[in-house]
Amino acid sequence: MAKPRPVAGIDPTRHVRPNARRILAMRIEEIYEYDGLVGDPANVTQLHDMRIAFKRLRYLIEIFGDAFDTDLVPYLDQVKAMQDLLGDIHDCDVQVPMLQQHLAWLERQETESVERMLTSPRRARTPDDPDIALARFKSRLDTARRADERPGIHTLMAMRRAQRIALYMQFTHEWRRLKHARFRQRLEQALGIG
Amino acid sequence: MARAWDVNGLARNPRFRDAAGRIVLTRWREMISYRDGTLVGDDIEELHAMRVSSRRLRAAMDAFADVFPTKSFRRYLREVKRITDTLGDARDLDVAIEHLTLLLPEVEGVDRPGIEGLIDRYEQQRRAEDARIRALFDRLERERFAERLETWVHKHTGVDVATLAPTPPAGA
Repeated sequence: MAKPRPVAGIDPTRHVRPNARRILAMRIEEIYEYDGLVGDPANVTQLHDMRIAFKRLRYLIEIFGDAFDTDLVPYLDQVKAMQDLLGDIHDCDVQVPMLQQHLAWLERQETESVERMLTSPRRARTPDDPDIALARFKSRLDTARRADERPGIHTLMAMRRAQRIALYMQFTHEWRRLKHARFRQRLEQALGIG
Repeated sequence: MARAWDVNGLARNPRFRDAAGRIVLTRWREMISYRDGTLVGDDIEELHAMRVSSRRLRAAMDAFADVFPTKSFRRYLREVKRITDTLGDARDLDVAIEHLTLLLPEVEGVDRPGIEGLIDRYEQQRRAEDARIRALFDRLERERFAERLETWVHKHTGVDVATLAPTPPAGA
């Protein structure tokens, strides 16, 4: 996660507004530094870092908002919407590997269960009839295996991947719209920055 | 989501240092007000509210970092971050369990064993998180973290928590 950059010139003895302007200006700048990087859906880290940058800005507007004369709620709503959208993308990016790890865990459980089954003393009671013995073996193997748990996990992964594609499209649309609507310039103007 | 507590005595454009004391102490008391509910664990919203408050506290500390000496600030922020992260791990599992449980009736039969198995596994992991949360709060109490933090904020901002008297919003 990218750390917030230090802000020069903060004077704790002064009022909130001049200090807040400096901090907010830096945090806005940090968001827009990701502009060229989030155009590629594979840039998972940059999308996550942009979400954190939006989150920082959102909290700062909440903290310092009352010190400004302008109504910042519409800006805050927009920032929060972007943070939520990028958060949903991040959830998908985190959940797919988690589900893959779960599949690997299932496989390990399965291996251990089958090994236990094959080395258990019950093998000594194998019936003479090979068909009955095979049927019993199959039944015990099915119990030990967790293959029936896999389709659900694959379905969840497919759902998350499809959701990720849709969310990313929504994000690029929203990000373009914000830029087109000169969101940054309007927010900076509302805060008296520049 | 739990509403943020109002900050008592905050002027429209106050001194930066004074605002730091009032906001950090209010967010601290707000967060800690959910501790008992979180430990009881009957309602997952208590933990959620505590986590949200801890993030508000962290954000406030970050915003006013310049008011405090760097070294001690980092120490206190690290502890608050630990609280947020510990609660976050439990919250992520609560959300995942809730989401999967809601999804279950909508999926085809062939997918159910996998989702049920995943819910079981998350529930086991979630029980382990309860022990981690309890251990963290016990340690903070042993180390008298609350008193130390409140004294530290007072020392550097001049705001006293007893005088400030943070209180939850009406109806909360």
